[in-house]
Amino acid sequence: MTQTTELQHCETRYFGPVEYSEESVLVFPDGIPAFEQEKRFLAMRQPISEPLVFLQSVAHPNVCFATLPAPAACPGFQLNMAPEDLDALGLEKGRQPAIGRDVLCLTILSLTENAPPTVNLLAPIVINIHTLRGRQAIQTDSTYSHREALPLREAACS
Amino acid sequence: MLVMRRRAGESILIGEDIEIQILHIGESRIKIGITAPKAVLVAMKEVRLVGEENLAAAQLHSVAALRHMLDRLIEGPVGGEK
Repeated sequence: MTQTTELQHCETRYFGPVEYSEESVLVFPDGIPAFEQEKRFLAMRQPISEPLVFLQSVAHPNVCFATLPAPAACPGFQLNMAPEDLDALGLEKGRQPAIGRDVLCLTILSLTENAPPTVNLLAPIVINIHTLRGRQAIQTDSTYSHREALPLREAACS
Repeated sequence: MLVMRRRAGESILIGEDIEIQILHIGESRIKIGITAPKAVLVAMKEVRLVGEENLAAAQLHSVAALRHMLDRLIEGPVGGEK
């Protein structure tokens, strides 16, 4: 990778400056709701925060989302993408893409004080693995919530 | 709220230049065609909900707070690849 492309620098919210190559940039042509202008992200993982995946805006260091891979946030998670979303990502229209093989599927984590952490399973971030194009796919037909509680240890004790 | 009854193929006008046409009525959903000026935002209501959730999720939290949350997950660290 280093011999073919020049590395660029990017300031990040949690991990200081990082280097990245142009072909590792995830492109969101429409941004995501409320962040329509953010079209380029880096997906970052760190051993200390496994299994979190951070979606870091290339343009704005302060814009960074903590996400969990959908299978980690919700075992057995089912994608139910609308035809328009499949089309926008260049995915086959007749079927749902396979997580891990066709697409990466990340769910945005919300941490609020004095409330259990939640993930947005209603609108996962879907990234075409082959083109690295991404989109937040609102799954209107699904039964998932935009504030789905994460399974925590304390809850299991009762 | 104004309530109107319409059949497939019929339309509703809003103001001078917005038309909402009922294209198809299925068992559990209807297909709607919307003609509106470019300056008018047309979006599913869920987009606003998701936008608000994204804004909340983008609030600053420390890596330590994230770590604490992760430690409480039942499954413990799980890889995304299954």
